[in-house]
Amino acid sequence: MRSILNKLLTAMRGGVNELGEAVVDGQGNRILEQELRDSEQELKQAKQELAALMAESASLARQIRSEQDNASKREQDARKAIAAGQEDLAREVAERIVGHERRAVELTQTRELLQQRIAGLKERVQRAEKQLADYRRELQVVKTNERVLRTTAQIDTNINSQKSSLNTAKETLERIRERQAREEDRQTASATLEKELTGADLDEKLKAAGIDGEQDAIDNVLARLKDSPAQ
Amino acid sequence: MDIQTLTLALGDSTHAGRRFDVMPIAGDEPVLQVTVSGAEETPVYLTVTDSQILCLAYLFDEQELNPVHLNELHENMLRLSVPMPLSSLGKTGDHYVVYGALSPTSGAAEIMQELVTLAENAIDLLQTFEDYLA
Repeated sequence: MRSILNKLLTAMRGGVNELGEAVVDGQGNRILEQELRDSEQELKQAKQELAALMAESASLARQIRSEQDNASKREQDARKAIAAGQEDLAREVAERIVGHERRAVELTQTRELLQQRIAGLKERVQRAEKQLADYRRELQVVKTNERVLRTTAQIDTNINSQKSSLNTAKETLERIRERQAREEDRQTASATLEKELTGADLDEKLKAAGIDGEQDAIDNVLARLKDSPAQ
Repeated sequence: MDIQTLTLALGDSTHAGRRFDVMPIAGDEPVLQVTVSGAEETPVYLTVTDSQILCLAYLFDEQELNPVHLNELHENMLRLSVPMPLSSLGKTGDHYVVYGALSPTSGAAEIMQELVTLAENAIDLLQTFEDYLA
């Protein structure tokens, strides 16, 4: 990832990206995409192999259990034969038991080797998955960069040809200020209208002229109280 | 969310009291110019890729800036980029931009929120950085 980012930065500083020219050329892109496909293929193969090995290991586990079961079953047979005084028969059964036990040991050894291979393969799968995620991230950076360059080039071409022209920041700021002033005027106007509708503006005018309805009412009450003093 | 669906959705909707005026930008890439009501001066450009929906608004060009205070401006832009809601500051070619990227699975409401925020942020940033213009 770092090498891709450095490549992008070098190209950008060199002004290679003007007019939306691809920074990492199509060739570089194709190489990345090929690496991605190779990684995906390797991962797929490793997963298939892993699944097969795990199935084999499960089958071996079943066989081992079966040999062990048979051995313990034959042990009971052998005990019964000894109890019945059938020494020869007991020996024959004992031979069978040895056979089962040997096979169980052999199978267990095989399975242990298999388990080691499975562990190794799982590690390989994890590595491949990480690698794949890395490649995808790199490709995304490269592709996004190209898209941004092509998009901005397209916007610039369009706006320039429309002659509404890409405004300078100063012109834009001027227009923003004009709109904000208009909005402020509108707010002031609607506040004025609101006052007119509620009569608040008239109250304000009366107050300014020294005519205050509230104050008059209080004075009236006071005068009345003074006219009828407490007995 | 593809460009056609989005064009239709934006044309018919309002979000937080805003209307959207959508105009496709001719060319190979699917690009929309979206003007947000109440922030008409800073149109937002939107493009959809496999991995993201990219929205961006232009702030100013390199040649419009006072070169003496360029480092200070860059420093301030980097610092403001972090707290700016849903937007980051960046540069593509000579253009300084404010942009936001959304997941391609975003719905119309998220995209409208992004567009409104971006257009308003662009205005705030322009006014904030006005003194750095040459």
